[in-house]
Parts: sequence; C-alpha cells; structure tokens
Amino acid sequence: MALPIYATPGQRIWHYTYLAFCVFVLFFLVAPLVAVIPLSFTATPFLNFTPEMLALDPDAFSVRWYKSLFGMCDDVDDSASTMCHNKWMVGAGRSLYYAVISTVLATGLGTLAALGLSSEHMPAKRAIMALMISPLIVPLIITAAGMAFFFARVNLSNTDAGIILAHTILGLPFVVITVTSTLVGFDRGLMRAAANLGGAPAYNFWKIQMPLIAPGMISGALFAFITSFDEIVIILFIGGPDQHTLPRQMWSGIRQEISPTILSAATILVLFSIVLLTTLELLRRRSERLRGMTPQ
Amino acid sequence: MASNPPITDQGPLLTADGTPLKVSLQRSLRQNRNRAMLLVLPPLLFLVLLFVIPIGDMLLRSVDDKLVNEVLPRTFDAFEEWDKQSEPPEELFAALFEDLKAAEKVERGKVSVRMNYAKPGWRSLVKKTSRRLKRMDGPPYKEQFIKIDERWADQEFWLSLGIMKDRYTAGYYWNAVDRTYDFDKNVILQDENRRVYNLLWWRTILVSFIVTIACLLLAYPVSYLLATLPMRISNLLMICVLMPFWTSLLVRIVAWMIMLQQNGVVNDTLVWAGLLGEENRLAMMYNFNGTIIVMTQILLPFMILPIFSVMKTIPPSYMKAAQNLGATPTMAFIRVYMPQTIPGVGAGCILVFIVAIGYYITPELVGGKDGRLIGNMVAHHMQRSLNWGLAAAMGTILLIMILLLYWIYDKIVGIDNMKMG
Amino acid sequence: MKTTLKLTLLASVVAATSAAQAVNIVSWGGAYTASQQKAYQETYKDPDSINFINYNGGLGEVRTQVESGNVTWDIVDVLPDQARTGCDEGLFEELDRSIFTPAADGTSMDDDIMVEVPNDCVVPQIFWSYVPFYEEGTFQGAQPETIADFFNVKKFPGKRGIHTWPQALIEMALAADGVAIKDIYKVMSTDEGIDRAFAMLDKIKDHAVFWSSGAKPLELVKSGEVSMSIAYNGRIGAAVLSEGEKFVTVWDGQVLEEEWLVLMKGAPNREAALEFLVHASSPASQAEQAKYINYGPMRASAFEIMASGEPWFHNGKTIMEHMPNRPEVMARSIIANPDWWADYGDSITERYTAWMGQ
Repeated sequence: MALPIYATPGQRIWHYTYLAFCVFVLFFLVAPLVAVIPLSFTATPFLNFTPEMLALDPDAFSVRWYKSLFGMCDDVDDSASTMCHNKWMVGAGRSLYYAVISTVLATGLGTLAALGLSSEHMPAKRAIMALMISPLIVPLIITAAGMAFFFARVNLSNTDAGIILAHTILGLPFVVITVTSTLVGFDRGLMRAAANLGGAPAYNFWKIQMPLIAPGMISGALFAFITSFDEIVIILFIGGPDQHTLPRQMWSGIRQEISPTILSAATILVLFSIVLLTTLELLRRRSERLRGMTPQ
Repeated sequence: MASNPPITDQGPLLTADGTPLKVSLQRSLRQNRNRAMLLVLPPLLFLVLLFVIPIGDMLLRSVDDKLVNEVLPRTFDAFEEWDKQSEPPEELFAALFEDLKAAEKVERGKVSVRMNYAKPGWRSLVKKTSRRLKRMDGPPYKEQFIKIDERWADQEFWLSLGIMKDRYTAGYYWNAVDRTYDFDKNVILQDENRRVYNLLWWRTILVSFIVTIACLLLAYPVSYLLATLPMRISNLLMICVLMPFWTSLLVRIVAWMIMLQQNGVVNDTLVWAGLLGEENRLAMMYNFNGTIIVMTQILLPFMILPIFSVMKTIPPSYMKAAQNLGATPTMAFIRVYMPQTIPGVGAGCILVFIVAIGYYITPELVGGKDGRLIGNMVAHHMQRSLNWGLAAAMGTILLIMILLLYWIYDKIVGIDNMKMG
Repeated sequence: MKTTLKLTLLASVVAATSAAQAVNIVSWGGAYTASQQKAYQETYKDPDSINFINYNGGLGEVRTQVESGNVTWDIVDVLPDQARTGCDEGLFEELDRSIFTPAADGTSMDDDIMVEVPNDCVVPQIFWSYVPFYEEGTFQGAQPETIADFFNVKKFPGKRGIHTWPQALIEMALAADGVAIKDIYKVMSTDEGIDRAFAMLDKIKDHAVFWSSGAKPLELVKSGEVSMSIAYNGRIGAAVLSEGEKFVTVWDGQVLEEEWLVLMKGAPNREAALEFLVHASSPASQAEQAKYINYGPMRASAFEIMASGEPWFHNGKTIMEHMPNRPEVMARSIIANPDWWADYGDSITERYTAWMGQ
C-alpha cells in the first residue's frame, strides 16, 4: 500500500485523498460511539458539550448519571417528576436472564443441527440449511408479528418462556453458521481412524470433534447472547410489563426523554461490546490454529 | 489348489462377519444418514413449531374473513336474498337482530371492528345498537333500528356487507397497495387522500437502495485498504468496523441522535467553526436524512465484511502482472482487480438491501415525518389500529420480496458460505 | 438515599406479607402513577393493601385475563375508548352508582362529573389535554390567545410543533377555522369537514416540526427550534410548576381527553377494590391528586375544594391556572369523542400519514 518513491504528484494527491476518505469512513463508523463516552460524564442534564467540558474543567464532569443508572440518588426530591428508580438494573437482570437461557438452548440445538448438516449423508441439506438460517433473514418485525399472534393463542405472550423461546430462534442461525464453518475441512478420516482404534462413538466425539467445534460453539453462543441481550422488537410485541429488559428501558428512555443516564448505560454497553469482540477474535485465532490454518 | 476357485467365482465380497460388503456398506450408509437426520430433527422441529408455523399462521390471517361470516350467518343469507336496489327489507334487520343477540359480547366488538374497515361508521353503529338489544321489542325491527340510529336507513352500510360476504378475502392485499373493493367487490383505487401505502413501499425501496449504494461507496475503498495493509495494522482498523457491529442497536441510535439533532454535536461544531449560522442549523435527524445516515452506518459492516473477505483472497501478483504487461495502474485495477471482487460486492449489496428493507426500529426512532418505512406501518397496524389483516398482508408482501432476494443470494453466494465476524 | 432504601425494603416486606389480599391497581407509571399513589394510596385507611402495577395500555391483557378466567388485576386505569369498548364487551363490571360519595352539597357523583358519563362501569379520574403553548418573550407585541393564532404563521412567525398522529389536530384545525365547538364532530363527519381541516393544516405544513414523544415539544420550544407547539398539558404544567420554566399555555381550543378507573369483571379482591374506588373517586381524593400533578379532576366539587385551598400545589404554587378543565376554559374546550375516532380513526390516520410524508 505504500506509495512508491517514483510516484507522480498526481498519484500522490490521489493516494492521500484516498487515505483521507478511508479515515473518514472509519471515523463515521466509530465517532458517534466515542462521542457518547465523554458526554455520559457531563454534570448537566443536557446532551451537548458545554464550554467548560471542552476546557476540561473537572467541575464540568461528574458520575451522577452513573449513580442514577445504578439506582443511587443523592437528592431525592419528592416532586413527582423526579425519575430515580432502579428500572435499569432490573432491566439488565432480566436481559441477562433471557440471554443466558436462550443462548444455552440455541447453542445446544444449533450444534446438533450443524453436526447433522455437515454429514455427507444428510438428505435435503441445502434446503434445511436455508431454513435454519432464515430467522436471520426474515425481518424481525415479521417474525415478531407472527409470533405475537401465535404465542397469544398458546398462552406464551407476556411470559418469560415465550421471550426465551423466541430469542432461542433468533440465536439458532448464528450457532449453525459458526459451528458449520469449523466443520468445513474437518477430516472425517479422523473419526473413522478413532473408531477403528476401538473408541466408543461418544468418547470419540468428545475427544476429537468437540475440541474442534468448541470455538465455533462459543463464538456462535456469543452471537446468540448479544442478539438476545440487545433484542427489542420481540420484546415490544410479545413481552408484557413484567418482561422489562434493558433494551426496553432504553427504548422508553429514547422515546420519552433522552437523559444522560441513557448515555451512561450506552457507555457501559460499548465497553461490553469491546470485551465480546476481543473474546471472539481470540477464539477465531484459536480455532484456526487448531484446524492448522495460518492465522490471518 | 482346486479348493481355491478363481476370484470371479468367489461370489460377493464378504466382510469379517460374513455379510456381503455391498449390504454392509449400504447399512452403514443408512445408519449414518439416520444419525444425521436424528441430529437435525430436534432443532428442525423447534424451528418449524415456533418460527415457520407462526409465520404461516400470520400469512393465513391476511386472507381470513371467517369471523364476520360465522358471527352473522343469518345476516349474510338475508343479504343474498336482497336485490340491493330497493330499500333494505325487514328480513335483513331481523336477521341482524338475531345474529347480534346470539353473539357473545366480545364477538360483537371484534365483528364491528372488522366491519368498520369495509365502511367507517359500522363500529359505533353496531356498538350503539348492541347496547339497546335487550330493551328492543319483537318484530318488526326496521323502525326500531332506525330509531336507535338513523344511519340504519342508509343503504351504503347494508351494501358494504357485500365486501365481507366470503370467508376468504384478498381485500387486505389490495388495501396494502392503495386499492379497495367497491360494494360489488370490484377492485378500485383507494380514495385519493388515503393513498399512503404505495408511497411507503416506494420510499422503503428507495431508502434501501440509497443505503445500499452509500454503503457500497463507503465500503469498497475501505475494504481495499484493509485487505492490502499489513495484517498488524489492518487487524487494528478492523476493530473500528467490528465495534459498531457488536454494539447494541439502540446505543448506536442514541449516539446518532446526540450527534445529529438540532442542538447536536455536528451542528454545534459547524456553528462554532462559523461554517453555519445559528439560524440555519441543518435538519439531519427525525426525517428522511436521519434514516439514511443512521441506517448507512448501522449496515456498513455488512458491506465491508463480505467485500473484504473476497479481496483478501485476490493475490496481489495479478495486479503486478497486469501492470507488467503494460496496463496503467488504473486500468489494471478496473480491468483485473474489480471483476474479481464482484462476488463480494454482490453478497454485500443483497445482504444490506435485505436487512434494510425490513427495518423498523431505526426509522421509528429517527424517521420523524418522512423517514418511516413499511415496517413501521406493519407495527402501526399490529399495535395501534389493530387491523391485523392488513398488517399480515403487508408482512406477507415484504416477506415474499425478501425470500426472493434470499433465493438470489443463495444462488450467487450460497448460504453455506455465510460467515460471521 | 438511605431512607429511600429503607423505605423500599420496608415496602417490599409489607407487600410480601399482605400480597394475599392486596388490591392490584394497574396504571401508566411515571409521574402520573406517583400522583395517584400519593393522593389515593397514602391517604387510604390501609395503604399497604393497595399495590400499583404498570402497564402499556390497551385491552389485550384485560381480555386475556377475563377470557381465561385467571383474573389477577382488580382496578385498571383506562382511556375513554377502552372504557367504552371494555364495558360493552363485558370485561369490566357495571357498578352500583349509589355507593359513591356525593358532593358536599349532596349532588350525586354522576351529576358531579363534568362530562356525560358513558356507562356504569366507569369511575372518574382526570382530564388531560392537547394544548398549544409558547415561551414567554417569544413574540413581540400581541400574544397568541386563540387556537386560530396557532395556525397563523403570518401574525405569529416561527415554526410549529405538532404530533405525528391526527387525533386532536383535526378538531383544533376546525376550531381555528371558525367552527363552533359544539358542531366540531358534526362537521368532522362530512368529507368537506375533513377537507376543511386539512386545508387549515396545510397553512402550517411548511412550518411544522413533528414530535412523537411527550417530552419533545418542551425541548423544541425551549431550544427555540419552534415558536409554538402542541403538548400534553401535564408536561407543560410540570415544567412550570416544578422547574420554574416560563411557558404560557393557550387554552382556547384545547382538546380534552378523559381518563377513567374501572373494575375488572371477576376481580379477585372485588370488595376491597370497590371500597378503594369509592375512596379514590371522592371529591377530597380527586382534589388531593391535583397537589402532585396538573391534570384536572373530573368532579366539579373537587374544584371547589382546590379553589378554596389555594395555593394548592405541594410546593406552594397556585394550581388553578394549570387545570385544563377549570370553568373559565371549559366553554372553549373540545371534549374528544372516542366513538368518532373509533369509526374514522383508520381512514383519517392514513390521510394524515400521507399528508405528513408529502
């Protein structure tokens, strides 16, 4: 990518314009997320940078919005307009609860599907694969609408079980995709050799196939987890007042009044996403090492 | 050696336990097949039960018009008898009286809502009349009905029954494209002022198209940079691409709101830098522009990742070879490099388009007056107006469009090649 | 903070022990429910027997409970449309009107309510309204006083904030066009009437900024992005009464909406719930609620209590001028007609959506 020394001035200009454009695009991708972080430490209830903040005056910053996020209010005023309650924490707990259970379900079911689909003897492979991935393709609004009618009929709407089942469906394709891709290029001879050497099928599976697909399962599980943790449309359509998750709290916050509390929640979620991203990258490298590919 | 016949006479090949090899192989094949199917069965059943059936059920709802026919059977029979020219006869009133009286209160409510789609006014008419049913004397009913509400004398209400007389209807689909039935069930254009759905369909396609193009224009150069930079640097930059991908959708929307709103960071910066007067702050949020900007950022990683992964596989030596053979760098790029990236570009474009066309949350929050899409209308009819038939019909049309694109995607890229992260 | 924590703990312990016979009352949450808790629950003889739950409106959950026979809610706070539909469908119980507290002068509750009582299911709550407002000092010289001024961008320049659904706007547009308040729904029932309303709306179309969440209009006016906006009266009042903002409300041509309490059919704690309803609908409780929020009590006698007790608001400010249904403004107020909207809501919404997007 480096510019050769013999480049003409025109090529130079072109080259730097190009680089500047790329920087702009990357900036466009991350700038809003980065801007949220300092703003969440504002001392005022407004959502813009005050001159004091730009001058880095320590008094212009505070953690008051984090306190209100965690349900701690210094000055409880009785006027009915004060919003100081712990819906954020309750919501985070709910989201975590749904995400963990639906991730476990999705990972189990998705791995089964991937193992079956990667068998060379599986009939109608392509069609089933397409079906397994379709929850990812069908717009959420349609999935949610369909489920809203159906779940109401079988008494699953406004229940935790309904949300968990719906989120499992949404997480399933990710696990199928990631586990399938770890099985690509898997040498079935290994399983045959193990069977030849007298290992029981279950033992062989745990010893040979499992370590290979484990990274795929974990990264699929991460995708399923984040999908459920972030999910809002299903919650809006089939969740009742008791299914008050973190995204739902953010949704009502955005629709009613964007207070810096939302920004503090957003900041925590951005940091959370960085942790997930790092985990995923480490997993990918491990998987490639295990499968004998050079890390890319 | 006589005991050792020639090989050709040996009969079928046998395995250690004496079964013919062919049979044994077939059995093992069958076993493998059964094992694979057994593995796939639980997730498949789960998906069919909780995903395919609910969506199928919704599709049926888009043509279902049974309820009104089941609750008002006598009325529709009497309607068939009526010549539709003369005044509505006493029999029609009597039939409706009997039907309403026999119906459950909840059913009356549901039926009146359905009838109101055929002609506005039915809802209050049925409600008001239902309330007085108990106090009504025996036949004749016509006078009594008209006394309750003079609209009962209006032929149009009775004629509108013709729209609902069949147990299945395509009416919701026609409504979804700004058409409606007249009283004889002919398809006519919706009243001019009420034509809004075609506008929304076109807007949805336009927004998806603009977002796809914008993503492509932004993603292509960046993907090229990422694919050609040394790995250490490109991995670092890749984080910029993946971080938004992994961040909560609502967080990204909030972030854009504080960036783009009237008193947001971008406007403040422009005013502060003197590029913009205080009076002329740009309207970049809660309108069409807002929807485009935010959706482009949200969908950009879906474009960068497939293009990047294709570019990664193109050996740089091709470009060098082309230049060695006398092509200018630009020529080499356009003639040699770009055609090889087509699969990535195609995959990215279809993916972005598919995702964009069904968007709901983003336009709902940032769309304002003219940035809302068809997905928002589906939600409106699901949750507010409760016109579920229309919501289902619009959902079905949307679903068919998407499945068509999904099929094309499968043909071009193959869904098995879909990769994550 | 410690005290709040203690109180919460205490409340949860109490709630757990008395859960068996607690009356479940379902309401909208936020400042509104808080005012109900202060005015009705805390003044009740046995506050711990009352448990407030939030919901998102609509009759869906009510229907599910009644149809499945598994009713867990007792009292529900509903909008006018749901109050009528739910009563017609037999989801709510029709109540003996004689058990309710009459006014001090002996007027029965139903005669004391400032609107026609739609059915025997409903128990009075409050009025809230859609109403235009601006910030003091926005206009030089003459100040906006009528609904027609809201639609007059020549006389009162600047942008206008309006909501993204047609309810209340059609009524206001016709009132601004000179239709008498009592004839508004009659005119709206004709095609010409609707055309007339949209012609009026066209006058502010190019100056309109659309909002869809209740806090937005205050932000729009405060930041100067618009010079006037429609808003919920409760929001404007809260900003003036609690935050000291200088907002001026133009009451002429406001659209009033009712809010009722109803008893679920098959309520598990029917007797206790009825007793609480009697308490909550008494003139004294109704007036008490206005100490915490500026929605208007439905009962005329509650107004007398408030007027004689001014300054009535809990922080020592006067409340009367923020009440949407005080006698001075009632004559020029439009009372929303839920039956009309049930009939024509869909078609008007389509037309309004098309109009917005053009």
